[in-house]
Amino acid sequence: MKQKHIQHLYWRASFGIDVKQFESLKSTSKKKIVSKLITDSKEFKNLELDLSEFDSIKYKSYKELKDKFTEEELQKLTNKRNRKVRDLNYAWIYRLSEPKSLLREKMTLFWANVFVCRDNDVFFIQDYNNTLRKYALGDFRVFVKQIAKQPSMLKYLNNKQNKKRKPNENFARELMELFTLGVGNYTEQDIQESARAFTGWTHKKNGDFYLQKSQHDFDEKTFFGKTGNFDGDDIIDIILEQKQCARFICDKIYRYFINPKVDKKRLEEITNIFYKDYNISNLMEHIFTSKWFYNDENIGVKIKSPIELLVGIQKVVPVTFDKKQQLNYLQKMMGQTLLYPDNVAGWKGGKSWIDSNTLMFRMKLPSLLLSNAIINLEEKGEFEDSFEKYYKGEKQRNKYLKITKNWEFFDKQNQNLSSKELIDLLILSKLDKDTATFLENLEIKSNRNFCVQLMSIPEYQLC
Amino acid sequence: MERRDFLKQSTLASSLFFVPNFVKAFENVSKSTFKHKKLVIIQLSGGNDGLNTIIPYTNDFYFKNRPKLAIPKNNIIKATDELGFHENLAPLKNLYDQGYLSVINNVGYPNPNRSHFRSTDIWQTASSADEYVTSGWVGRFIEKYGKNPYTGIELDDSLSLIMKGENVNGIATKNPNILFANTNTAYFKKVLEQQTDAHLSEHNLGYLYKTMIEAKSSAKYIYETSKTYKSNLEYPNNPFGKQLKTTAEFINSDLDSKVYYVSMGGFDTHANQVNRQSRLLKTYSESIAVFVNDLKKNDTFKDTLILTFSEFGRRVQQNAAGGTDHGAANNVFLIGENLKKKGFYNDAPNLGNLDSNGDLMHTVDFRTIYATILDKWLQVDDASILNKSFSKLNFI
Repeated sequence: MKQKHIQHLYWRASFGIDVKQFESLKSTSKKKIVSKLITDSKEFKNLELDLSEFDSIKYKSYKELKDKFTEEELQKLTNKRNRKVRDLNYAWIYRLSEPKSLLREKMTLFWANVFVCRDNDVFFIQDYNNTLRKYALGDFRVFVKQIAKQPSMLKYLNNKQNKKRKPNENFARELMELFTLGVGNYTEQDIQESARAFTGWTHKKNGDFYLQKSQHDFDEKTFFGKTGNFDGDDIIDIILEQKQCARFICDKIYRYFINPKVDKKRLEEITNIFYKDYNISNLMEHIFTSKWFYNDENIGVKIKSPIELLVGIQKVVPVTFDKKQQLNYLQKMMGQTLLYPDNVAGWKGGKSWIDSNTLMFRMKLPSLLLSNAIINLEEKGEFEDSFEKYYKGEKQRNKYLKITKNWEFFDKQNQNLSSKELIDLLILSKLDKDTATFLENLEIKSNRNFCVQLMSIPEYQLC
Repeated sequence: MERRDFLKQSTLASSLFFVPNFVKAFENVSKSTFKHKKLVIIQLSGGNDGLNTIIPYTNDFYFKNRPKLAIPKNNIIKATDELGFHENLAPLKNLYDQGYLSVINNVGYPNPNRSHFRSTDIWQTASSADEYVTSGWVGRFIEKYGKNPYTGIELDDSLSLIMKGENVNGIATKNPNILFANTNTAYFKKVLEQQTDAHLSEHNLGYLYKTMIEAKSSAKYIYETSKTYKSNLEYPNNPFGKQLKTTAEFINSDLDSKVYYVSMGGFDTHANQVNRQSRLLKTYSESIAVFVNDLKKNDTFKDTLILTFSEFGRRVQQNAAGGTDHGAANNVFLIGENLKKKGFYNDAPNLGNLDSNGDLMHTVDFRTIYATILDKWLQVDDASILNKSFSKLNFI
């Protein structure tokens, strides 16, 4: 396989590839490489924090806790537990740069932006995250049904408040609009009827799904022209019968893994594959082994998401954050904080990652991480249900990032590369003509230095 | 977008991007051709419950549909025989008493979409419900009449669809010093200095270079110009207050920017609405009051129009969680010194005549408000920006 093609595959199926990996794959066939990517992702381990210190409050009711703790103690403990969501965020980012289960981890991140959810309960959001991971390459039908039953999701889209005679339509609407069909492919009546089917869907204190029968509407519903005593699972089955569902997901897959500009013919091709059995793994294998996936028009044309950018840099020069909250800050500045999506529609992606502020910050990121540059930007507040949280914007101006850099890792692999080789390794996009001239005339002090410079041109924003 | 289409569509292409020294060209564009009028747009995002904001306190339907959520008559700041303000809107009522507020009731559009994102897109692009438009109406205004990205400034770190044109976007910034410092990095300067012309070869790469150039020149202008006025009034200490403070500084520094956009989140009140909405309305009205004072002190209030909208109102009937679900038509606020119809522009919502979803029906298309503002306030051809001709209202 050609160098560029291996790089392309590894950027889309993962977060890039280093020289060593790439040397080992050079003489392998495309089919074998893709199959290895999938096989390597069969096994995985859950992302789990050690949360044993919260055992005393885990899944306990307020009443039970009142006997054990004072109001103040309990508040402290709960706050501490909620702050753990941030630790989960860091753990997730570190996981992304690990060399195992590459495709599964990339897909987990993809699905997190399809089945968008947010929760400040670390136990529940960890379960949710691992549900994404578990089904990332599996059966989409089971996946949707499991996601719908996650306690975090039941909370986030108010299905806990969806009750017989007083349906709350939030989940039903977003299920169709954002998770399966897309706007315009269902009616208001479909929303109302399906909301009834999800009434009474709630969870126990420990997070287990539970149907509260007294709140479930067992009567007949009419959904997509079908009439029956449907429950939520039936509704999901009927949604998946619509080819539009396969098309909607494939469209997202196309934009994320192939090209932000969708080729309708190719989209129909992969939709047919997916619609057959909703098997995610087969779909991805089909894409990655297709000849057209490696067409020039698909290579280096995608704007990296902030996480792709960040993790991609870390794969070239591994870094450790001495102050973990600075990792949170970087994500916020670029507009993508894992586990904290802006809203239920998730991150829009593509060009919308880029505006004057984010672009400048992104181009500065390599020197922030690797060359002790100073940050001078203000942290973005969050518009979310609790407006009080939004009020507390910390000021973080003129700060250095406290980071340990593993340049030795970089040296070992890249020390002997020529500048041309280093360009080929780091830049997938076509080079702007004038920028190419600029780079040619640049005095190269060291490969370390040149690496930071290359990562600071607009072309590095693309993969 | 294809390079070819870009070239064809961009009226600025030859004069700005493709000449040597194109970076400088941005700074040399002549001063704006229109007058000093400014427009400040505020989105209460999440779907503010308009019925608990401007309250139809003599309407039986209101109390019947909201046994737990209806605001008791005694807690309302009454304005007319029918309508009153939420008690936390006292500063807004004060503006109303001075004739600086016009409330347009029942604003919406045919076939309302109850999704936050879709409905926000509709409001921001000025499209119909069945039409998908990829540029915002302010973005198109910037592109056609502003020439410079900073004709429109969003007081945030990232740019919303409303500020995006086809080829020229507005600028997002909460702090001009920081924006300037970031665009002024030595290495980026070098990269840009090398450019003899912009090779907009591939759509995303071209977009990146163009964004860099725009950012640099706009940041410089905003930074240098906004230094002339610093507000010394005390705004509420929260991001919304800060955004309005910066907006006042921009306006009072006579920045050649025409439209400012601020979004205030948190209005998606599916559950436990009462306290949450109360706090939000308090934040909103207190900040607006200081903002208006700031402008008045500097004699710029007469040239400023403030428009407040939300992507939709909420369902008339309360839900089981002490909240409300996504609805349709809603009220819109206009604040300024030049209002023709002060107070309530039109009739209170008709709660006895709801649509099939149980939502308020619109009697005013939101685009007639935009058309009016574009035509009568900013004095540009509204139809060319809204892609359609709309009748005008009589509020300014």
